[in-house]
Amino acid sequence: MKQLIKLEINGRVYDVPVSPRDVLADVIRKKVGLTGTKKGCGMGDCGACTVLVEGKPILSCITLAITCNGKKITTVEGLALPDGQMHPIQEAFVNQGAIQCGFCTPGMLMSAKGLLARNPKPSLYDIKHEMSGNICRCTGFKRIIEAIEVASETMSEGVK
Amino acid sequence: MFMNQFEYFAPKTPGEAFELMGRLGSKARILAGGTELVILMKDRIIRPECLIDINNIEEFKGIKYEPGKGMVIGATTKIADIQYSEIVKRKYYALADAAGEIGSSQVRHMGTIGGNSCNASPSAETPTPLVAYGATVVVSSATGEREMPLEEFIQGVRMIDLKEGELLTKFKLPEPSPKLVGRYAYMGARDANEIDFVNMAVTLELEDDKQTVKSVKLVMGSVFIKPLISTAVTALLTGQKFSDELAAKAAEATQGEAKPITDVRASAEYRHEIVGVLARRLLKEAFGAAQEV
Repeated sequence: MKQLIKLEINGRVYDVPVSPRDVLADVIRKKVGLTGTKKGCGMGDCGACTVLVEGKPILSCITLAITCNGKKITTVEGLALPDGQMHPIQEAFVNQGAIQCGFCTPGMLMSAKGLLARNPKPSLYDIKHEMSGNICRCTGFKRIIEAIEVASETMSEGVK
Repeated sequence: MFMNQFEYFAPKTPGEAFELMGRLGSKARILAGGTELVILMKDRIIRPECLIDINNIEEFKGIKYEPGKGMVIGATTKIADIQYSEIVKRKYYALADAAGEIGSSQVRHMGTIGGNSCNASPSAETPTPLVAYGATVVVSSATGEREMPLEEFIQGVRMIDLKEGELLTKFKLPEPSPKLVGRYAYMGARDANEIDFVNMAVTLELEDDKQTVKSVKLVMGSVFIKPLISTAVTALLTGQKFSDELAAKAAEATQGEAKPITDVRASAEYRHEIVGVLARRLLKEAFGAAQEV
């Protein structure tokens, strides 16, 4: 049986009919139509589906959408600034060459966003430790780590 | 991979939760963090008819510390909140450390401390330090509460002392002595986002001479059906002047106590070896830290 829930995604409120078994990743992609969020393993291991719920990084493929009723969600589409300018984290990923095939990128960006919001100046260890739930099969992680370091510097300079 | 259809309930008060549990009985499963439950449902290993989501019940979450009395941690407190909590780091360092080693950052923001114990996996991270700090759990139902040591609540692999209609609602940690130090260590296939082969926690306190062990407790995880408290370490070290030789002897004794099995992650033989290594390292580390207090 479908129930109507309210999801505030990237600042816009969506009323979506969901079945209790619908996972958040499917609802965001198929019902809301924001396909930036990716589904990788579907079992909570790869991190491609990472979105922020109330600012915290979670795995949308193993989160029941109905548990997010009334909550604020940020997906990769919500990262760019209102004028279309890229977020410093996105800019750093592009400039550092931290993207190859791009499939893990939305999840990486959201995890990085969650990390930098809590810890604006993470150490190399912090970055590796907190990003360990996002798997990339192309880049070897080095440039991703560098991009987050650059983003951390840019953001702490107050340049947004 | 689709889950079965089920009915979803999100009570806002303990009373509502107990009423639902009484009415739905064994048809319902409790949803806390979902990092284990939802995966089991997706794999169709379990197909509950109803889920009772207890995350909206304020009474069941949060970290409260009262000087001299200790800490109370609500069962649905997120693992990440424990990992980052300054007061947990200060008073129960090994617990914060173990919390930070669970899964990934995302899993820690979803998973709960209650779930980590109720799941009753021998390789769980937080029960080991919780037992080392002498934590008790409070199990609540419509008719009242029961309190018991965590090592009694966890009875074996996926087995806990929870009767129908009961919920694990909080953990109580006694106030640690000001000179008590706690340390945690683990061995796994890689440094993060893995399941431990062996994990271990030690709490240790020295006499004023900074050499003699006043009290020590070593708890092992993933080498028995539930957290295993070493009686040998306590017996060998209490009242003795700490030395590397004594630590080595105590570590050897833990190898006699551990009852590891061979599984997909590691062999019993390897685990047996690692128990000794971790015990020696941890005892020395805890001793060093206790000298600095």
